[in-house]
Amino acid sequence: MTTDAIRLSPDDNVATVLRAVGAGESLRVRCADAVTEVRAQEAIPLCHKVSLSPIDPGTAVVKYGQKIGEALEPIAAGRHVHVHNMRSARARTAP
Amino acid sequence: MAAEFLGYRREDGQVGVRNHLLVLSTGGLTGQTARRIGAMLAGAIVVVLPHSSGLIGRDLELQRRAIAGLATHPNVGAAVLVGDNPVVMAQARADIAPSGRPFASFTLDECGHDALTLTDRALREGAKLARQISRQRREAAPVAALGIGLECGRSDPSSGLIANPLLGLVADWLVDAGGRAIIGETLEWLGAEHLLASRARSPEVAAAISGAVLERERIAIAAGLDLTGSNPGPTNIAAGLSSIEEKSLGNIAKSGSRPIEGLVQYGEAPPGPGLWTMDASAYAPKSLTGFVVAGAQMLLFTTGVGNPYVSALSPTIKLSANPVTAAAFRDQLDFDASPAFRGDDTLEATGAALRERILAVASGEATWGEILKEGDEVLSRFGPAL
Repeated sequence: MTTDAIRLSPDDNVATVLRAVGAGESLRVRCADAVTEVRAQEAIPLCHKVSLSPIDPGTAVVKYGQKIGEALEPIAAGRHVHVHNMRSARARTAP
Repeated sequence: MAAEFLGYRREDGQVGVRNHLLVLSTGGLTGQTARRIGAMLAGAIVVVLPHSSGLIGRDLELQRRAIAGLATHPNVGAAVLVGDNPVVMAQARADIAPSGRPFASFTLDECGHDALTLTDRALREGAKLARQISRQRREAAPVAALGIGLECGRSDPSSGLIANPLLGLVADWLVDAGGRAIIGETLEWLGAEHLLASRARSPEVAAAISGAVLERERIAIAAGLDLTGSNPGPTNIAAGLSSIEEKSLGNIAKSGSRPIEGLVQYGEAPPGPGLWTMDASAYAPKSLTGFVVAGAQMLLFTTGVGNPYVSALSPTIKLSANPVTAAAFRDQLDFDASPAFRGDDTLEATGAALRERILAVASGEATWGEILKEGDEVLSRFGPAL
Protein backbone atom coordinates (compact mmCIF):
# COMPACT_ATOMS: atom_id res chain seq x y z
CA MET A 1 0.00 0.00 0.00
CA THR A 2 1.26 3.48 -0.77
CA THR A 3 2.04 5.95 1.97
CA ASP A 4 0.83 9.52 1.46
CA ALA A 5 2.35 11.14 4.53
CA ILE A 6 5.00 10.42 7.17
CA ARG A 7 4.53 11.00 10.89
CA LEU A 8 8.05 10.97 12.33
CA SER A 9 7.08 10.34 15.96
CA PRO A 10 3.92 9.04 17.66
CA ASP A 11 3.97 12.34 19.62
CA ASP A 12 3.62 14.40 16.43
CA ASN A 13 0.38 16.25 15.63
CA VAL A 14 1.49 16.93 12.04
CA ALA A 15 2.71 14.70 9.21
CA THR A 16 4.71 15.51 6.04
CA VAL A 17 2.94 14.74 2.77
CA LEU A 18 5.03 12.78 0.27
CA ARG A 19 3.13 14.10 -2.76
CA ALA A 20 0.97 17.11 -3.52
CA VAL A 21 -2.53 16.27 -2.26
CA GLY A 22 -5.91 17.76 -3.11
CA ALA A 23 -8.79 18.86 -0.89
CA GLY A 24 -10.97 15.95 0.23
CA GLU A 25 -8.38 13.25 -0.37
CA SER A 26 -8.04 10.55 2.26
CA LEU A 27 -4.35 10.22 3.25
CA ARG A 28 -2.61 7.13 4.54
CA VAL A 29 -0.24 8.37 7.25
CA ARG A 30 2.58 6.05 8.24
CA CYS A 31 4.38 6.20 11.60
CA ALA A 32 6.96 3.39 11.75
CA ASP A 33 4.78 0.31 11.13
CA ALA A 34 1.46 1.93 12.08
CA VAL A 35 -0.82 3.46 9.46
CA THR A 36 -3.66 5.88 10.20
CA GLU A 37 -5.88 7.94 7.93
CA VAL A 38 -6.70 11.62 7.79
CA ARG A 39 -8.84 13.50 5.26
CA ALA A 40 -7.15 16.58 3.74
CA GLN A 41 -9.39 19.63 4.22
CA GLU A 42 -7.52 21.61 1.58
CA ALA A 43 -4.76 21.24 -1.01
CA ILE A 44 -1.33 20.61 0.52
CA PRO A 45 1.89 20.95 -1.55
CA LEU A 46 4.60 18.29 -1.67
CA CYS A 47 6.61 18.08 1.59
CA HIS A 48 4.30 20.48 3.48
CA LYS A 49 2.55 19.52 6.74
CA VAL A 50 -0.97 18.22 7.43
CA SER A 51 -2.47 18.33 10.92
CA LEU A 52 -3.46 14.95 12.34
CA SER A 53 -5.57 16.18 15.26
CA PRO A 54 -7.06 19.52 16.37
CA ILE A 55 -4.40 21.99 17.62
CA ASP A 56 -5.51 24.80 19.95
CA PRO A 57 -4.15 28.35 19.54
CA GLY A 58 -0.94 28.89 21.51
CA THR A 59 -0.25 25.16 21.85
CA ALA A 60 2.66 23.29 20.38
CA VAL A 61 2.92 22.07 16.83
CA VAL A 62 4.93 18.85 17.22
CA LYS A 63 7.16 17.20 14.58
CA TYR A 64 10.20 14.92 15.15
CA GLY A 65 8.60 14.45 18.61
CA GLN A 66 9.68 18.06 19.31
CA LYS A 67 7.96 21.42 19.45
CA ILE A 68 8.49 23.27 16.16
CA GLY A 69 6.32 26.28 17.04
CA GLU A 70 2.88 27.33 18.21
CA ALA A 71 -0.53 27.44 16.55
CA LEU A 72 -1.78 30.98 15.79
CA GLU A 73 -5.41 29.90 15.45
CA PRO A 74 -7.50 26.77 16.00
CA ILE A 75 -6.24 24.18 13.51
CA ALA A 76 -8.61 21.30 12.72
CA ALA A 77 -7.36 17.87 11.64
CA GLY A 78 -6.55 17.65 7.94
CA ARG A 79 -5.50 21.28 7.56
CA HIS A 80 -2.37 22.61 5.89
CA VAL A 81 -0.06 23.69 8.74
CA HIS A 82 2.42 26.38 7.75
CA VAL A 83 3.46 30.00 8.43
CA HIS A 84 -0.15 31.23 8.00
CA ASN A 85 -1.38 29.34 11.07
CA MET A 86 1.74 28.61 13.15
CA ARG A 87 4.89 30.45 14.17
CA SER A 88 8.28 29.83 15.73
CA ALA A 89 8.54 30.11 19.51
CA ARG A 90 12.21 31.14 19.36
CA ALA A 91 14.07 34.42 18.81
CA ARG A 92 10.83 36.30 19.41
CA THR A 93 11.31 40.03 18.86
CA ALA A 94 7.63 40.88 19.36
CA PRO A 95 4.86 39.16 21.37
CA MET B 1 38.64 -5.43 5.58
CA ALA B 2 38.36 -1.80 6.62
CA ALA B 3 37.22 0.56 3.88
CA GLU B 4 39.95 2.35 1.96
CA PHE B 5 40.32 5.02 -0.67
CA LEU B 6 43.18 6.08 -2.94
CA GLY B 7 44.63 9.38 -1.81
CA TYR B 8 47.73 11.56 -1.86
CA ARG B 9 49.95 11.14 1.19
CA ARG B 10 51.44 14.40 2.47
CA GLU B 11 54.68 14.88 4.39
CA ASP B 12 52.73 16.06 7.45
CA GLY B 13 50.72 12.82 7.61
CA GLN B 14 47.53 14.15 6.05
CA VAL B 15 45.98 12.43 3.05
CA GLY B 16 44.47 14.41 0.20
CA VAL B 17 41.66 13.29 -2.09
CA ARG B 18 42.83 15.77 -4.73
CA ASN B 19 46.26 17.10 -5.72
CA HIS B 20 45.50 20.73 -6.44
CA LEU B 21 47.89 23.52 -7.25
CA LEU B 22 46.46 26.37 -5.17
CA VAL B 23 46.99 29.98 -6.20
CA LEU B 24 46.13 31.97 -3.09
CA SER B 25 45.93 35.72 -2.81
CA THR B 26 46.32 36.75 0.83
CA GLY B 27 44.33 39.93 0.17
CA GLY B 28 41.99 41.49 -2.34
CA LEU B 29 44.64 43.84 -3.70
CA THR B 30 46.42 41.03 -5.57
CA GLY B 31 43.23 39.12 -6.36
CA GLN B 32 43.37 39.79 -10.10
CA THR B 33 47.05 38.85 -10.15
CA ALA B 34 46.13 35.48 -8.61
CA ARG B 35 43.32 34.99 -11.12
CA ARG B 36 45.67 35.87 -14.00
CA ILE B 37 48.23 33.34 -12.78
CA GLY B 38 45.54 30.71 -12.18
CA ALA B 39 44.17 31.14 -15.70
CA MET B 40 47.63 30.40 -17.12
CA LEU B 41 48.29 27.23 -15.12
CA ALA B 42 46.39 24.07 -16.06
CA GLY B 43 44.16 22.80 -13.26
CA ALA B 44 45.09 25.54 -10.79
CA ILE B 45 42.53 26.48 -8.12
CA VAL B 46 42.40 30.21 -7.34
CA VAL B 47 41.30 31.48 -3.94
CA VAL B 48 41.22 35.19 -3.15
CA LEU B 49 40.84 36.28 0.47
CA PRO B 50 39.13 39.66 0.12
CA HIS B 51 40.46 41.42 3.25
CA SER B 52 43.92 41.97 4.66
CA SER B 53 45.46 45.14 6.09
CA GLY B 54 43.40 46.63 8.91
CA LEU B 55 41.93 43.38 10.18
CA ILE B 56 41.88 43.14 13.96
CA GLY B 57 41.08 40.65 16.69
CA ARG B 58 39.13 37.60 15.65
CA ASP B 59 39.28 38.51 11.95
CA LEU B 60 43.06 38.86 12.08
CA GLU B 61 43.36 35.45 13.75
CA LEU B 62 41.05 33.95 11.16
CA GLN B 63 43.06 35.48 8.30
CA ARG B 64 46.21 33.78 9.57
CA ARG B 65 44.39 30.49 10.15
CA ALA B 66 42.80 30.63 6.69
CA ILE B 67 46.05 31.30 4.82
CA ALA B 68 47.86 28.48 6.59
CA GLY B 69 44.84 26.16 6.51
CA LEU B 70 44.29 26.60 2.78
CA ALA B 71 47.96 26.43 1.77
CA THR B 72 48.52 23.23 3.79
CA HIS B 73 45.10 21.72 3.10
CA PRO B 74 45.41 17.97 2.45
CA ASN B 75 43.96 18.42 -1.06
CA VAL B 76 46.65 20.97 -1.94
CA GLY B 77 49.76 19.42 -3.49
CA ALA B 78 51.51 22.77 -3.71
CA ALA B 79 50.61 26.42 -3.28
CA VAL B 80 51.56 29.72 -4.85
CA LEU B 81 50.88 32.69 -2.58
CA VAL B 82 50.70 36.28 -3.72
CA GLY B 83 49.96 39.27 -1.53
CA ASP B 84 50.50 42.91 -0.76
CA ASN B 85 51.46 42.75 2.90
CA PRO B 86 55.03 41.65 3.81
CA VAL B 87 54.11 41.05 7.46
CA VAL B 88 51.18 38.81 6.56
CA MET B 89 53.35 36.93 4.05
CA ALA B 90 56.21 36.46 6.55
CA GLN B 91 53.74 34.95 8.99
CA ALA B 92 52.28 32.72 6.25
CA ARG B 93 55.74 31.42 5.31
CA ALA B 94 56.49 30.60 8.95
CA ASP B 95 53.12 28.86 9.35
CA ILE B 96 53.33 26.79 6.15
CA ALA B 97 57.00 25.71 6.32
CA PRO B 98 56.64 23.06 9.08
CA SER B 99 54.14 21.10 6.95
CA GLY B 100 56.77 20.41 4.31
CA ARG B 101 54.22 21.31 1.63
CA PRO B 102 55.91 22.75 -1.48
CA PHE B 103 55.03 26.42 -1.92
CA ALA B 104 56.24 29.66 -3.44
CA SER B 105 55.30 33.10 -2.19
CA PHE B 106 55.74 36.62 -3.45
CA THR B 107 54.70 40.07 -2.30
CA LEU B 108 54.30 43.16 -4.40
CA ASP B 109 57.07 44.72 -2.31
CA GLU B 110 59.50 42.04 -3.50
CA CYS B 111 58.54 42.73 -7.11
CA GLY B 112 59.14 46.46 -7.23
CA HIS B 113 55.44 47.03 -6.50
CA ASP B 114 54.79 45.84 -10.05
CA ALA B 115 51.84 43.48 -10.46
CA LEU B 116 53.14 42.26 -13.83
CA THR B 117 56.51 41.35 -12.32
CA LEU B 118 54.61 39.58 -9.53
CA THR B 119 52.60 37.73 -12.17
CA ASP B 120 55.72 36.71 -14.07
CA ARG B 121 57.65 35.43 -11.05
CA ALA B 122 54.69 33.63 -9.47
CA LEU B 123 53.70 32.09 -12.79
CA ARG B 124 57.16 30.67 -13.42
CA GLU B 125 57.40 29.17 -9.93
CA GLY B 126 53.81 27.94 -10.14
CA ALA B 127 54.58 26.11 -13.38
CA LYS B 128 57.48 24.31 -11.71
CA LEU B 129 55.30 23.34 -8.76
CA ALA B 130 52.57 22.06 -11.09
CA ARG B 131 55.09 19.80 -12.81
CA GLN B 132 56.47 18.62 -9.48
CA ILE B 133 53.08 17.60 -8.04
CA SER B 134 52.03 15.91 -11.28
CA ARG B 135 54.56 13.20 -10.41
CA GLN B 136 52.75 12.20 -7.23
CA ARG B 137 50.57 9.06 -7.33
CA ARG B 138 47.57 7.97 -5.28
CA GLU B 139 48.08 5.31 -2.60
CA ALA B 140 45.66 3.26 -0.51
CA ALA B 141 44.62 5.04 2.68
CA PRO B 142 42.14 4.15 5.43
CA VAL B 143 38.81 5.92 5.81
CA ALA B 144 40.14 7.07 9.19
CA ALA B 145 42.24 9.62 7.29
CA LEU B 146 39.11 11.38 6.03
CA GLY B 147 37.50 14.48 7.47
CA ILE B 148 34.07 15.21 6.04
CA GLY B 149 32.01 18.38 6.48
CA LEU B 150 28.23 17.94 6.51
CA GLU B 151 26.13 20.70 5.01
CA CYS B 152 22.55 21.39 3.96
CA GLY B 153 21.34 24.29 1.86
CA ARG B 154 18.15 25.50 0.27
CA SER B 155 16.59 22.81 2.39
CA ASP B 156 13.04 21.55 2.34
CA PRO B 157 11.28 19.00 4.54
CA SER B 158 12.71 16.14 2.43
CA SER B 159 16.13 17.19 3.73
CA GLY B 160 15.17 16.51 7.34
CA LEU B 161 13.13 13.45 6.44
CA ILE B 162 15.65 11.53 4.29
CA ALA B 163 18.75 13.35 3.00
CA ASN B 164 20.07 14.61 6.33
CA PRO B 165 19.41 11.32 8.19
CA LEU B 166 21.34 9.68 5.35
CA LEU B 167 24.31 11.93 6.14
CA GLY B 168 23.81 10.94 9.77
CA LEU B 169 24.37 7.30 8.80
CA VAL B 170 27.54 8.32 6.95
CA ALA B 171 28.71 10.36 9.94
CA ASP B 172 28.25 7.34 12.24
CA TRP B 173 30.17 5.13 9.81
CA LEU B 174 33.00 7.65 9.49
CA VAL B 175 33.27 8.20 13.24
CA ASP B 176 33.24 4.45 13.92
CA ALA B 177 36.04 4.05 11.36
CA GLY B 178 38.18 6.63 13.18
CA GLY B 179 37.61 9.57 10.85
CA ARG B 180 36.32 13.08 11.54
CA ALA B 181 32.83 14.36 10.82
CA ILE B 182 31.80 17.96 11.41
CA ILE B 183 28.59 19.97 11.32
CA GLY B 184 28.27 23.77 11.46
CA GLU B 185 25.46 26.29 10.75
CA THR B 186 24.97 27.20 14.43
CA LEU B 187 21.74 29.14 13.97
CA GLU B 188 20.21 25.99 12.52
CA TRP B 189 20.63 24.18 15.82
CA LEU B 190 18.15 26.63 17.40
CA GLY B 191 15.24 24.62 18.75
CA ALA B 192 17.26 21.41 18.56
CA GLU B 193 20.22 22.47 20.68
CA HIS B 194 19.06 20.35 23.65
CA LEU B 195 19.35 17.23 21.47
CA LEU B 196 22.92 18.10 20.44
CA ALA B 197 23.88 19.06 23.99
CA SER B 198 22.56 15.74 25.29
CA ARG B 199 25.10 13.96 23.07
CA ALA B 200 28.06 16.11 24.18
CA ARG B 201 31.14 14.27 25.44
CA SER B 202 31.23 16.43 28.60
CA PRO B 203 29.11 19.03 30.42
CA GLU B 204 31.56 21.70 29.18
CA VAL B 205 30.95 20.72 25.57
CA ALA B 206 27.18 20.72 26.16
CA ALA B 207 27.40 24.21 27.64
CA ALA B 208 29.54 25.42 24.73
CA ILE B 209 27.00 24.14 22.18
CA SER B 210 24.01 25.64 24.01
CA GLY B 211 25.89 28.89 24.57
CA ALA B 212 26.78 29.24 20.88
CA VAL B 213 23.13 28.77 19.88
CA LEU B 214 21.81 31.20 22.51
CA GLU B 215 24.35 33.78 21.35
CA ARG B 216 23.00 33.54 17.78
CA GLU B 217 19.44 33.83 19.14
CA ARG B 218 20.51 36.91 21.13
CA ILE B 219 22.03 38.48 18.00
CA ALA B 220 18.81 37.87 16.06
CA ILE B 221 16.69 39.43 18.81
CA ALA B 222 19.08 42.40 19.20
CA ALA B 223 18.88 42.98 15.44
CA GLY B 224 15.09 43.06 15.70
CA LEU B 225 15.02 40.36 13.06
CA ASP B 226 12.07 38.00 12.65
CA LEU B 227 13.78 34.70 11.87
CA THR B 228 10.77 33.50 9.90
CA GLY B 229 11.54 34.93 6.47
CA SER B 230 15.25 35.15 7.25
CA ASN B 231 15.94 31.63 8.51
CA PRO B 232 13.95 29.75 7.35
CA GLY B 233 14.29 31.99 4.30
CA PRO B 234 11.72 32.49 1.55
CA THR B 235 13.01 29.49 -0.41
CA ASN B 236 12.71 27.20 2.63
CA ILE B 237 9.23 28.52 3.45
CA ALA B 238 7.93 28.04 -0.08
CA ALA B 239 9.24 24.48 0.12
CA GLY B 240 7.33 23.77 3.36
CA LEU B 241 9.57 24.64 6.32
CA SER B 242 7.56 26.73 8.80
CA SER B 243 9.99 27.65 11.59
CA ILE B 244 13.66 27.64 12.61
CA GLU B 245 12.85 24.80 15.04
CA GLU B 246 11.56 22.61 12.23
CA LYS B 247 14.55 23.45 10.04
CA SER B 248 17.00 22.81 12.89
CA LEU B 249 15.51 19.45 13.83
CA GLY B 250 16.02 18.41 10.22
CA ASN B 251 19.49 19.96 10.06
CA ILE B 252 20.95 18.15 13.06
CA ALA B 253 19.92 14.77 11.62
CA LYS B 254 23.15 15.16 9.61
CA SER B 255 25.12 14.61 12.81
CA GLY B 256 24.00 11.00 13.22
CA SER B 257 23.99 9.49 16.68
CA ARG B 258 27.54 9.41 18.04
CA PRO B 259 28.88 11.54 20.92
CA ILE B 260 29.93 15.11 20.10
CA GLU B 261 33.59 15.63 21.00
CA GLY B 262 33.56 19.41 21.10
CA LEU B 263 32.75 22.77 19.59
CA VAL B 264 35.49 24.30 17.45
CA GLN B 265 35.64 27.91 16.30
CA TYR B 266 35.14 28.90 12.68
CA GLY B 267 37.90 27.37 10.54
CA GLU B 268 39.52 25.68 13.53
CA ALA B 269 40.70 22.12 12.90
CA PRO B 270 39.15 19.50 15.21
CA PRO B 271 41.95 18.34 17.51
CA GLY B 272 41.08 14.66 17.17
CA PRO B 273 38.87 12.05 15.50
CA GLY B 274 35.12 11.75 16.04
CA LEU B 275 32.10 13.97 15.57
CA TRP B 276 32.56 17.75 15.99
CA THR B 277 30.48 20.90 15.87
CA MET B 278 31.74 24.20 14.42
CA ASP B 279 30.31 27.54 15.53
CA ALA B 280 29.72 29.06 12.11
CA SER B 281 27.47 30.95 9.75
CA ALA B 282 24.56 29.04 8.23
CA TYR B 283 25.28 30.57 4.79
CA ALA B 284 26.64 27.67 2.73
CA PRO B 285 29.62 29.44 1.08
CA LYS B 286 30.96 30.60 4.45
CA SER B 287 30.08 27.35 6.20
CA LEU B 288 31.85 25.16 3.61
CA THR B 289 35.00 27.29 3.67
CA GLY B 290 35.00 26.98 7.46
CA PHE B 291 35.12 23.20 7.07
CA VAL B 292 37.80 23.45 4.36
CA VAL B 293 40.06 25.74 6.40
CA ALA B 294 39.62 23.22 9.24
CA GLY B 295 41.02 20.54 6.92
CA ALA B 296 37.95 18.65 5.66
CA GLN B 297 38.94 16.87 2.44
CA MET B 298 35.36 16.19 1.38
CA LEU B 299 31.95 17.74 1.85
CA LEU B 300 28.49 16.20 1.71
CA PHE B 301 25.84 18.73 0.84
CA THR B 302 22.11 17.99 0.89
CA THR B 303 19.59 20.22 -0.81
CA GLY B 304 15.84 20.32 -0.94
CA VAL B 305 15.05 22.44 -3.98
CA GLY B 306 18.54 22.75 -5.53
CA ASN B 307 21.76 24.56 -4.61
CA PRO B 308 24.68 24.95 -7.02
CA TYR B 309 27.38 25.93 -4.51
CA VAL B 310 30.42 23.71 -3.88
CA SER B 311 33.89 24.15 -2.42
CA ALA B 312 36.78 24.83 -4.78
CA LEU B 313 39.27 22.74 -2.78
CA SER B 314 37.19 19.89 -1.36
CA PRO B 315 35.00 17.78 -3.64
CA THR B 316 31.41 18.33 -2.61
CA ILE B 317 28.91 15.54 -3.12
CA LYS B 318 25.52 17.12 -3.72
CA LEU B 319 22.42 15.08 -3.00
CA SER B 320 18.68 15.47 -2.68
CA ALA B 321 15.79 13.26 -1.61
CA ASN B 322 13.14 15.50 -3.17
CA PRO B 323 11.85 13.57 -6.21
CA VAL B 324 11.10 16.76 -8.17
CA THR B 325 14.59 18.14 -7.52
CA ALA B 326 16.26 14.81 -8.23
CA ALA B 327 14.53 14.63 -11.62
CA ALA B 328 15.29 18.27 -12.49
CA PHE B 329 19.00 18.20 -11.63
CA ARG B 330 20.24 14.87 -12.97
CA ASP B 331 23.42 16.53 -14.28
CA GLN B 332 24.08 18.56 -11.13
CA LEU B 333 23.22 16.23 -8.25
CA ASP B 334 25.85 13.58 -7.52
CA PHE B 335 23.55 11.28 -5.61
CA ASP B 336 19.83 10.62 -5.92
CA ALA B 337 18.24 9.84 -2.56
CA SER B 338 14.68 10.12 -3.84
CA PRO B 339 14.07 6.34 -3.99
CA ALA B 340 14.32 6.38 -0.18
CA PHE B 341 11.85 9.29 -0.06
CA ARG B 342 9.37 7.34 -2.18
CA GLY B 343 9.85 4.25 -0.02
CA ASP B 344 11.36 2.29 -2.92
CA ASP B 345 14.63 1.86 -1.03
CA THR B 346 15.59 1.74 2.65
CA LEU B 347 17.66 4.45 4.30
CA GLU B 348 20.27 1.83 5.20
CA ALA B 349 20.66 0.57 1.62
CA THR B 350 20.80 4.15 0.35
CA GLY B 351 23.45 4.94 2.96
CA ALA B 352 25.56 1.99 1.80
CA ALA B 353 25.36 3.24 -1.79
CA LEU B 354 26.33 6.75 -0.67
CA ARG B 355 29.36 5.38 1.19
CA GLU B 356 30.52 3.69 -2.04
CA ARG B 357 30.13 6.98 -3.88
CA ILE B 358 32.13 8.80 -1.19
CA LEU B 359 35.02 6.33 -1.57
CA ALA B 360 34.85 6.66 -5.37
CA VAL B 361 34.98 10.47 -5.22
CA ALA B 362 37.72 10.34 -2.58
CA SER B 363 39.70 8.15 -5.00
CA GLY B 364 39.34 10.57 -7.89
CA GLU B 365 35.86 10.37 -9.42
CA ALA B 366 34.83 13.94 -10.33
CA THR B 367 31.73 15.53 -8.84
CA TRP B 368 29.39 17.55 -11.04
CA GLY B 369 30.45 20.66 -9.13
CA GLU B 370 34.09 20.02 -10.08
CA ILE B 371 33.23 19.36 -13.72
CA LEU B 372 31.03 22.45 -13.96
CA LYS B 373 33.56 24.61 -12.05
CA GLU B 374 31.02 25.74 -9.44
CA GLY B 375 33.70 25.78 -6.73
CA ASP B 376 34.60 28.82 -4.67
CA GLU B 377 35.83 29.68 -1.17
CA VAL B 378 34.18 32.42 0.91
CA LEU B 379 35.67 33.30 4.28
CA SER B 380 33.51 34.66 7.10
CA ARG B 381 34.13 38.13 8.49
CA PHE B 382 33.15 38.96 12.07
CA GLY B 383 33.76 42.51 13.22
CA PRO B 384 34.91 45.97 12.25
CA ALA B 385 38.39 46.63 10.86
CA LEU B 386 40.71 49.61 10.97
